[in-house]
Parts: sequence; C-alpha cells; structure tokens
Amino acid sequence: MELNDGNLQTLTEYLQKTLSPDPAVRRPAEKFLESVEGNQNYPILLLTLLEKSQDEVIRVCAAVTFKNYIKRNWRIVEDEPNKISDPDRTAIKANIVNLMLTSPEQIQKQLSDAISILGREDFPQKWPDLLTEMVNRFQSGDFHIINGVLRTAHSLFKRYRHEFKSNELWSEIKLVLDTFAQPLTELFKATIDLCQTHATDVNALKVLFSSLTLISKLFYSLNFQDLPEFFEDNMETWMTHFHNLLTLDNKLLQTEDEEEAGLLELLKSQICDNAALYAQKYDEEFQPYLPRFVTAIWNLLVTTGQEVKYDLLVSNAIQFLASVCERPHYKHLFEDQNVLTSICEKVIVPNMEFRSADEEAFEDNAEEYIIRDLEGSDIDTRRRAACDLVRGLCKFFEGPVTGIFSGYVSSMLTEYAKNPGVNWKHKDAAIYLVTSLASKAQTQKHGITQANELVNLCEFFVNHILVDLKSPSVNEFPVLKADAIKYVMTFRSQLPKEQLLEAVPLLVAHLQAESIVQHTYAAHALERLFTMRGANNATLITPAEMAPFTEQLLNNLFKALAIPGSSENEYMMKAIMRSFSLLQEAIVPYIPTLIGQLTHKLLLVSKNPSKPHFNHYLFESLCLSIRITCKANRDTVGSFEEALFPVFTEILQNDVQEFVPYVFQVMSLLLEIHTSSIPSSYMALFPHLLQPVLWERTGNIPPLVRLLQAYLEKGATTIASTAADKIPGLLGVFQKLIASKANDHQGFYLLNSIVEHMPPDSITQYRKQIFILLFQRLQSSKTTKFVKSFMVFINLYCVKYGAIALQEIFDDIQPKMFGMVVEKIIIPEVQKVSGQVEKKICAVGITKILTECPAMMDTEYTKLWTPLLQALIGLFELPEDDSIPDDEHFIDIEDTPGYQTAFSQLAFAGKKEHDPIGDAVNNPKILLAQSLHKLSTACPGRVPSMLSTSLPAEALQFLQGYLQAATVQLV
Amino acid sequence: MPTENLSDKRMSKFKNKGKEPTKMRDRRIAECVELRKAHKVEGIMKRRNISSVGDEEPLSPEYNTDNKQVISEAIQEIVANVNNECPEKQRQGCQAARKLLSRERNPPLKEIVEAGLLTRFVEFLGRNDDPTLQFEAAWSLTNVASGTSWHTQQVVEHGAVPAFIALLASPMLNISEQAVWALGNIAGDGPSYRDALIDCGVIPALLARLTPDAPVGYLRNLTWTLSNLCRNKNPFPRFSAVQQMLPSIIQLLHHSDKSILSDACWAISYLTDGPNERIDVVIKTGVLPRLVELLGFEELAVVTPALRSIGNIVSGSDLQTQAAIDAGVLSALPLLMRHPKSSVQKEAAWAVSNIAAGPCQQIQQLITCGLLAPLVDLLRNGDFKTQREAVWAVTNYTSGGTVDQVVHLVKCGALEAILNLLQAKDAKTVLVILDAINNIFLAAEKLGEVDKLCLLVEEVGGLDRIEFLQNHENNAVYRAAQALIEKYFSEVAGYRCT
Repeated sequence: MELNDGNLQTLTEYLQKTLSPDPAVRRPAEKFLESVEGNQNYPILLLTLLEKSQDEVIRVCAAVTFKNYIKRNWRIVEDEPNKISDPDRTAIKANIVNLMLTSPEQIQKQLSDAISILGREDFPQKWPDLLTEMVNRFQSGDFHIINGVLRTAHSLFKRYRHEFKSNELWSEIKLVLDTFAQPLTELFKATIDLCQTHATDVNALKVLFSSLTLISKLFYSLNFQDLPEFFEDNMETWMTHFHNLLTLDNKLLQTEDEEEAGLLELLKSQICDNAALYAQKYDEEFQPYLPRFVTAIWNLLVTTGQEVKYDLLVSNAIQFLASVCERPHYKHLFEDQNVLTSICEKVIVPNMEFRSADEEAFEDNAEEYIIRDLEGSDIDTRRRAACDLVRGLCKFFEGPVTGIFSGYVSSMLTEYAKNPGVNWKHKDAAIYLVTSLASKAQTQKHGITQANELVNLCEFFVNHILVDLKSPSVNEFPVLKADAIKYVMTFRSQLPKEQLLEAVPLLVAHLQAESIVQHTYAAHALERLFTMRGANNATLITPAEMAPFTEQLLNNLFKALAIPGSSENEYMMKAIMRSFSLLQEAIVPYIPTLIGQLTHKLLLVSKNPSKPHFNHYLFESLCLSIRITCKANRDTVGSFEEALFPVFTEILQNDVQEFVPYVFQVMSLLLEIHTSSIPSSYMALFPHLLQPVLWERTGNIPPLVRLLQAYLEKGATTIASTAADKIPGLLGVFQKLIASKANDHQGFYLLNSIVEHMPPDSITQYRKQIFILLFQRLQSSKTTKFVKSFMVFINLYCVKYGAIALQEIFDDIQPKMFGMVVEKIIIPEVQKVSGQVEKKICAVGITKILTECPAMMDTEYTKLWTPLLQALIGLFELPEDDSIPDDEHFIDIEDTPGYQTAFSQLAFAGKKEHDPIGDAVNNPKILLAQSLHKLSTACPGRVPSMLSTSLPAEALQFLQGYLQAATVQLV
Repeated sequence: MPTENLSDKRMSKFKNKGKEPTKMRDRRIAECVELRKAHKVEGIMKRRNISSVGDEEPLSPEYNTDNKQVISEAIQEIVANVNNECPEKQRQGCQAARKLLSRERNPPLKEIVEAGLLTRFVEFLGRNDDPTLQFEAAWSLTNVASGTSWHTQQVVEHGAVPAFIALLASPMLNISEQAVWALGNIAGDGPSYRDALIDCGVIPALLARLTPDAPVGYLRNLTWTLSNLCRNKNPFPRFSAVQQMLPSIIQLLHHSDKSILSDACWAISYLTDGPNERIDVVIKTGVLPRLVELLGFEELAVVTPALRSIGNIVSGSDLQTQAAIDAGVLSALPLLMRHPKSSVQKEAAWAVSNIAAGPCQQIQQLITCGLLAPLVDLLRNGDFKTQREAVWAVTNYTSGGTVDQVVHLVKCGALEAILNLLQAKDAKTVLVILDAINNIFLAAEKLGEVDKLCLLVEEVGGLDRIEFLQNHENNAVYRAAQALIEKYFSEVAGYRCT
C-alpha cells in the first residue's frame, strides 16, 4: 500500500463505514480493513489520518483502529510470521511519542495505550531512546505534553505492581530509575511550586493536579517491587510533600458532583495508597514519617462527607489505618480509650451506615447490590474498609472495641424500637455491625456457639432476627428482612440446629418476596443450609425433616423464577439444584411437572445464553432429576428422552456453543442408564458426533469422548454390524486426539473403550495402524502423561487379546520391537502409572506377558523376564513415582490454544469408575503367584532358576509372600 | 477406564506437584539485580584506613577542602617530593599522600592514581631499609585499593600484590598489618583478584602470622582478610584454598573478641553459600555446635553471620540439615524468631522455611521444638520481609508434611494468618500463599474434611480474599485463585455421589 492520497481516501471511506449502525454496511468494511492490515504502510496510513484528516470523527476512528491493530499484531510470536514490517515498526516508534503528545486528548489516550503495548514488547531493549525522549519533555513546561508523558509512563510502569520479581524485570526498573527518578522528583517539586503560584487559577490547578495524581501513581509503581535506593535517599522530599498534599484543601477544586470523584479526592486516594505501601513493605525506613500520616489521614476521615464521590478516598484511607493499627510497634498510636472511641464513633460507625445510595441499589440494581454484599466484591467499599479496620483494631484492643460496639448495638436497637417505621436504618446498622464483627470462627477459646463478646448470637437471633423472619407481611421493610436472612446464612454454623430448622420454613416463605434481594437471599440461605454436614458426614438437615415443607419449597423456588428480574436468577437455580440433591427420592412425585418447567426454561435460555451460572445449575438440576428418578425406576429414562431430545436437537442444530458440551453430558448420562441395546434415536446421531468441526472446540472434547465411550459400552455390536463404515471416522477422532499433548489422554480413553467393547473382528484391519500411530507420537514427543496412558493401553490390549497377540503385533511392525517396548518403556516407567484401576490393568497385563508369552521364555527376550518381574513387584510394593521432567510441567496450559469455552463439567452427570477387569481378578498378586505356578509346572525347573540367579533378595521375599498367600509352590 | 472426574483430579495433582520442584530448599539469596541500598549489616568488602597516628597534628585546612585547585597543588607537591632522591622528602611526600587519602570525605583517590604516584608507592614497599616509608606507602596503597574496582585494579596492575605478600613477613608489626589490610581490600574486589592472590601464595603467608601472641587488632585485620578470601561466587574459591584456611578460621571462631568472631562467622557464611559439596566441607570440620552457640550471642555482628551460615547449611541436603538440627539449631531459632531486630527474624524465618522443605521427620522436629508458635507470630506480626519468609515456611511445610502435621499447623493458627496476608502487595507472596492453601486442602481431602475447611476459610474472611484475587492482574495469581474457587468453593464442591 503506497502512502498516497488515493489510499488515504479509500481508508477514510472504509473507516467511515465501520461506524455505521447497519451491520450490512459495517461488517464488510471491518472485513476489508482486516484484509489489508497485513500490507506495509497500513499503520502509517492510519497515523497519517489520525494526524491530518479534516474530519474529527475519522481522526478518532483512525486512532482507535490503530490501537487495536497494534494490540493484535505488534507482538512477535515465535514460529509465526512477523505481522508488521520492520520499516513500519521503526517508523511507528520514531513518530508515535511526538504524535501522541501533540494530539488532542481523545486521540492522545488511544496513542498512549498503543505506546504501552509497544513498550511492553520493545521497551527497553528494542526502544532504548524512549525514556530519554520522555524525560526531555518534562522540560517543555507545557503540562498538556507533560501529562501525556506521565500517562504513557504510567501505562508502561504499572505492570511493576503485579509482576513477579525477576532479574529481567528488576534490570528494567533499575534502568527506569536511573533515567527517570531524578527528573520525576524535580517535576514533582516544580509542579507543587506551580500550584502555589496558580493557587487562584482553577484551570491551571486542574491540569497541575492531574499531573500530581499521575506522579503519585508513578511513585507507587516505581516503589512497588522494593524500596529503591533513590527513593530511600529522597524520602524526606516525597513524604513531606505527600503529607502536605493530604492536608491541603482548595475550594476551587471542590466539585459539585456527588458521584464522580474529583481531582483532590483522586490525588489523596493515591497518596493514601502510597503511604499504605510504605507502611506495609518498608516499615523500618518509613517509621519516622508514619505517625504524621496517621494523624493526617485520621483528620481527613473525620472531615470527609458521606457522598459517593469520596468512597474511594475513604476506603483507601481507612485501609491505611487498618494496616497500621495491627502492627505491634504502632499500637501505642491507638491505645488511648478516647482515640478508640472516636475511631469507632467518627470513622467506623458512619461508614457502616446504610446510605441512600445503598437503598437505591437495593431497589433498582439488585444484582449489583448482591454481588457487592454477598460475593466479597465490596472490597473497595466503605463498609468493607470499616470492617477491616475493626478487625485490625481487635487484634490488640478486642476488649475495649467490643465494649464500645456492644453499647452501639443496643442503643441503635433501642432507637429502632421507638419508631420502627422511621428508624429502621438503625436496626440495619446494628445487624450489620453484628454480622460483620461477631467472631464467626469457632475458636477453642470461644467454645462452640455462645459467648461471643459482642453479643450472644443465639439470643440475638431469638430477640431480633426471628421477629423479622416471622413477620406476616413479607414485603414490609425488605432491607431488614434481607438482613435477617443474611444473619441466618452468616451464622449458620454457630446457631443450633433447632434454630435453623425453625428458620427453614420462614426462609421458604421469603422466596415469595417481591424484593429481588430478599428472595435471592432466601434462596441462597436455603442453599447454604442444605449443604451443611452433620454427624457421619450426612447432611445436617435431612429429607425427613424437610418433608412437611417439600412441596412449598419446590413451588416457591419455581414461582420465584417467574418474578420479573429473577427469571434467570442463578441463586434460585442453584437452590433448586441443591434442594433436588438434598431431597433425593422425595422429589420423584414432582418430577413430571418440574421437568416440563425445566425444559421450558432451557428452551428459553438457549435462544440467548447470557447467565453461565444459571445455565450450569439448570443442567445440573436436569441431571439430578434424571439420576434420582431413574434410580427408582430405570424405565423412566424414556420419558426424559422424550422431553429433552426436542430441545437438545434444537441446541445442536443451532450450534449453541455454550450448551453443546452440556447436552453431550446429559446424553451420556441417559445412554448409560439403558440396560439393553442402544436405542435407534442415538444411533441416528452417531455419524454426526464424528464430524471434525465438533472436535475443533476444546470444550467439546471431554464430553464427546465420554459420550462416544457410552456408545461403545452400550452399542459396540450395533456399531460393528450396522455402522461399520463409521469405524474409520471413530479412529480418525482417536488419531486427532492422540496428536495433541493436551488431549492425548482423551484419545486413550476412546481407544481403550474400542479395545474393550468392539468385537475383535471389526477392528482387526486397523490394529496395526493404531500401533504405528502411537509409535510415531512416542518418537515425536514423548511425555510422561503419554507414556502412562500408553502403558495402560498396551496392558489392556494384552489382557483382552492375550500376550502373544501383543508380542506379535509389535514384532510384526518391526522385528525385536516388543523387546524394546518391554525394556525401554514398561520396565523403567511402570512405576509412574497412577490410579487403582490403571495399576491393576498393568499388573494383570504384565503377569500375562511373563507367563503366557512363549517368546519371553525362549528367545533373546528371556533376559528381560526377571527385570520385568522385578518391575511388577515394584509396582505392587513401591510408592508411585510421580516425578515429572522439568520441561513438562505446564503442557496442558501451553497446548490449549487461546481462550475457548472451557469445558464445564456437570457434577451430577458424573460417571462411575469403570474397571474393565472387574471381579475376574480380585488380587493381582495372587494371580501372579498362580500364573507363575502354572508356568513352572509347564517347564519345571526354569522359573526357580531364573529367580535365584537374578532377582534381588528383597523382591524375592515379596514374591515368596504372594506364593504363600496363594498356597502354591514353584517347581 | 477412569472417569473424567478421577482423571482430572489426578492431572491437577500432577500439575501442582510439578510446580513445586523438590528443590524448594534451594531458594537461596541468589546473586541478582538489587534496587535497594547495599545492605548495612553485610560483611564489608573493602575498608579504608582513616585512623590517625597517635601524636599527629590534625589535618591542615588545605587537606580538608574540596577545592580542586588546592588539591591539585597539594598533589603536585607530593609528586615532587616522592620523586625526589632524598629519603626525607620521599617520606614527607608519602605521608602527605596518605593523609589526603585518609581524610573522611572525598579522598582524591583518582587524582593520586592519575598523578602517576602508584609506581613509586609500590617501589617503596620494597624499601626494607626505611620502615616508615614502607608503612606510609602501604597505607596509601591500602586506601587507593579500597575504592572502586578500577582503583583496586590500578594498585594490582602496578605490581603491588607480590610486594604486599612479601611485606606480610615484615618484622614490623604495623607494616605487616597494613599489608594484611591492603590484601584484604584486593581480595574483596571479586573472585578474580581473590584467586590471583591465592595463586601468589597469600594464604600460607597470612596463616604464618596467626600466632597466639599476635595482638587483637592485628588478628582482626587478619580475620577480615581471610574472610574476603572465602568470599564471592562465580567461581568459588577452590577447594584446596578453602581446606587450607578452614582450620584457622575455626580456631578464630573460638576467640573472645567480638569483631574477630564476626568476621570468622562471615567467612563461614561465604563458604556455606554454595552447592552442597561446599557445605559439606564446612560441616566436616565439626563447627556446627560452635555456630549454634554463637547464635545465642548478644552482638548483632556475630548473630547475623552465624545465622546466615546456619541458614545456608539448612538449605543443603536433608543430611546436612539434619546435622544442623542435631547440633541444636532448633532450640536456638525460637529466640531469634523473637529477636528485636527484624533482619534477624527474617533470616531465622528463612532458615525455618528451608528446614520445613525437608522430609516429614524434620518437620516433626520443628513441631517438637516449638517452632510453630513463633512462626505463626511472625506471620502475624513480622515485618513484610519476614512475613514473606514465614509464608514460604508454611508452603514448604504443607507440601512435605504429613496430613497430621498439616492439621497441627492449621490448629496453631497458620491458616488464618496466611489468609490475612493475601492482601500483601507482592504477587509472588500471594501465589506462594495460594499454594499453601491448596496443600492444606489436599490434606483436608485425604481426611474427608473439605467442607469443614471451606467453612473455616470462609469464616476467617479468606474466601472473600481469594475471590478478590480472581481479579488480580498477575495471570498466575488469578489462575491459582480461580482454581481454588472452582475446585473447592464452587457448586460442585460439597456434593457427594450418593
């Protein structure tokens, strides 16, 4: 692509089209751009457009396109072609910084992102002058440019905050520090001076404060890995200024907005983070400065309002105090009773209050509220920070702090009692204090449930929680109801069982509440209660105890799915699953109705799967319905197939990717329940399962292999007689799986099922080819996992077809190959085989090789006989060898191409362990003894002489033990 | 055939195993890029002699200035005097140079070298007829050699090494001592000069001066120089040299002077900071009981290198670790873990982490000797560097310990403590903690108590923290957190096939 007006014009037109809302216009344009992006000059054309185009929209669009292009193509992947020509790379690096700095902010941000991607790959080695180029701009005095540099530096350096220490990383940081730390410090000082100079100019201040915030962020990144010498030497400068900035206020910078944090807040939050970093990691050096920061941050907290815009600042500030107060040598800063009281009163309690913003979320944004409140993603919230602070304080001051809060709890409850309608938030705060602060762990000191210093949990339950749960008007004070439900959930292992049983029917009733939060919490609480274990590891709550409420429970759970906003409520669906699992056969009478509702739901969500968890539990619930019902009566399997197959067909036909692996699992479960031959409906699907396209998706492989295994188990003869032409396709799947280091074990699962179940005649013609494929893989990449699976396979083959057949098939491929396999693979590696069944297969197989294979006695293989016996005894007696060569540790991860839908395994579709040898051999040691005995009677004298000449004494002793146990003797 | 369930579980075990190579014990303080200031407590590599001779008048102002002009004139005068044939003048020039080089701030090392004075100074070293001149020249050269590598190189390239080695035998104690000092500076520069000195026979010459009647000050210098001859890796000093020095170092390790003890300990710490064969040589001398005894000393200067030596030894093989345990190291460690200095706590925790990487018999000894309580204390209250080592100790312990031992550790409060540290601002530490949690879960699986452990983790606020880590920017951390959540805290957990 030439850099000319024609091309610029074309590009402009296509960029324009990518902005079209009409997919018919947009998609082809996007496709076109993708098709030309490999051409030389393409990125340069984009840069030209974003710099020079007359159309503002095109400029931004070119910037975004450029950034995405860089994101996709800049990285040079080993063994893949370089996607950007070297001249283009050089040109981009030479121009981009300048371009970024002189562009308007919208474009600057895109280019800054692009630079950080370039930097991640090229900096510092392949972009040595980047740093100096940036530092030189500090001199410009133009803060638009300076902020551009700072922002870029931030995106380059922020990875220092999360990467592991390595020499490479630290060398880079050292280089950055050498060039950057001093100029940054100078800039910091100069910027602060300018803030004084321009103290009354709001626009100037805004720019300067964004610089200060960026500088503070850079400070954090550069100081994260370890305390650099430079910053240790300049700690006085930085900390003094940080401290001053924390205490600074400027009316001009205060914002009207209640939600968005302003510049002052952002800067101060970052400074709190910086101080917390130093306090946590560089305690020794930071000690002299710490008390000042405690005071400043403490004052900051006391004077900061309740608005949402202060949330980040407040939570960072509280987190700082929390991390400091639990360090032994700062204890004294908090010791004073007055200090403690005022921390509790002025910092903790106000930040635990239910604010109007919380109330809005509770009503209008239930999902987010729940995630924050229930799933711990409230990490940055004030409430969470306040809880952490209390925990920190309790480390040294548990007594006084608990005392202060118990007083609070009772006074708030008294307030509430005076006028519940108005003061309900007081009760909320009281319950919140109790649920977050009462010790949940059953420590030995606290005994089982009672004696929590803050409150008596059971009494509190009886006096304050039950009332709300029992309230006849389910929809009144939903927040308090949700609090009460959460209380039960939180203290479920502290409350005695009678109280939990008392709560269960009440929770069932709350499933019908209108408030989403409330009925969701009820579902979640029930689900948690149902997983609790009592004595003997049985569920704490038994199906018998649930009997009076079973119908109501199932009804309400399914009805709740009809409440607007909860139609795909994952907590509800999980509670359904858990109820099924708990109730077991008690649900059988309801299943005919419920299965209809579940399939209907499935049909609906399969149109547009959007809630992965909901869908997962939905499938789990289906599996449970099937298992439980068919356990009572196998014949009902047909009715499930009748209900489910239409929906499954639709899912498979529409290729609903998220659901396909689930469908295969449910089908496996259904097929495995059949006792007689395989139904024709399954056979009709068989050819489709072998289509290569299905096997392209990683997530399909495990469930598909499992399904094919079920086909083989139930229908091997049918396949051999009516679908013999599909056998090559089946083996093709095996061949594809075996070639991959990640999936080879799946290939072996399939192969083992073929060997075990297919009538021998039907696969005779393919056998040799199978062995050749396995050998090719052994030669090209031999991994421990492969060898282990291979070993199990050849021994299974031996068990199934006999030792002679095994020896002959190897020696048929190449003379003496059998000996090589025994010598180079079986003997040295058998100790690595893991799993009871796998070990048994190997033991039986090797026994057969030893005793039923004449070549082992009469040819040059004879020298391997004793070593093989010794290896077998090792397999019986020695611990498993689970060592792995260093280069194999992460095979599965490296081999998985990119992010594909991960395989979502259904627990309730689980398969029983299958032992192909089964009862035929109960004790492989006895089998060995008996087989040796038989061999020795066939050729008297030989076995004992082989044993006595070369079997080590220890192994011999074990062998004697087996012989004795089997009451046989060798002759 | 195995079901997916079972095989996947097995494979994950397989993977986790791999992530913790048995070489965990080898986690030494590797040579690597440092961002921090050079450590203050480490043994000193080079020293300048800035003492003044008894009856000397204080430095005249002209010697104490940073004015380039003044200095340059002073040096010109020195050059003139030193090149003068008159011994008196030579002594005068040499002394003036020594004084310049001995001033506290900014000694003009480079200027002296560039003035071409070194040739003359080295020449003066051979002037047995004029001990004063010898002494002054030796002192000056000592101080030049105390500078950067470049400075040391200048001294060596002017042929000072053989001259100093010859001076070791000087009947004048102060001259011999100055030679010891200069050689110490040269040895401290790095492995190549150290080996060059050894090649020139410095060891026998030094050891010949190690006599019972040698004054303490002299012995201090001698010990320090010996320690520098033991110092540095890549390559290590050769075995024969080590064998030559060891008996004397062991002897010095029984001296009553603290400074001698300190440097002798540093020597041992250098010798043990290497592969197991190196450690073996030291252990065979029977020094362990004495080292353990030194751990109980009050002086930080002794305790630090003694503890470093012990830490190195327990990072060796199981047998070597056992030797340290048999010498009583486990009764000394609890006190050091509660030492007022955090640097000592950290080294002690490091030693414990290496012992915890051993077989379960050694882990049992950690329990028996009461190290778990102080370990948990460090997890809770130590400074960050100490906590980091203590976390390693927990992870090593949980990956090698028996189920009972793991349970015991959890009962001592270690689980709660490490869960708390999931907030640490260091990705590696977080990952190591997640490993430990995984190990503890594997133990719970064997006991069939996964549910109970899940509840415990949830109750102490650990589940929230692990869930939060699923948003961590570091891939390995977020994957490990996600794996834990999926394996133990997702819906599937808590279900048992009935």
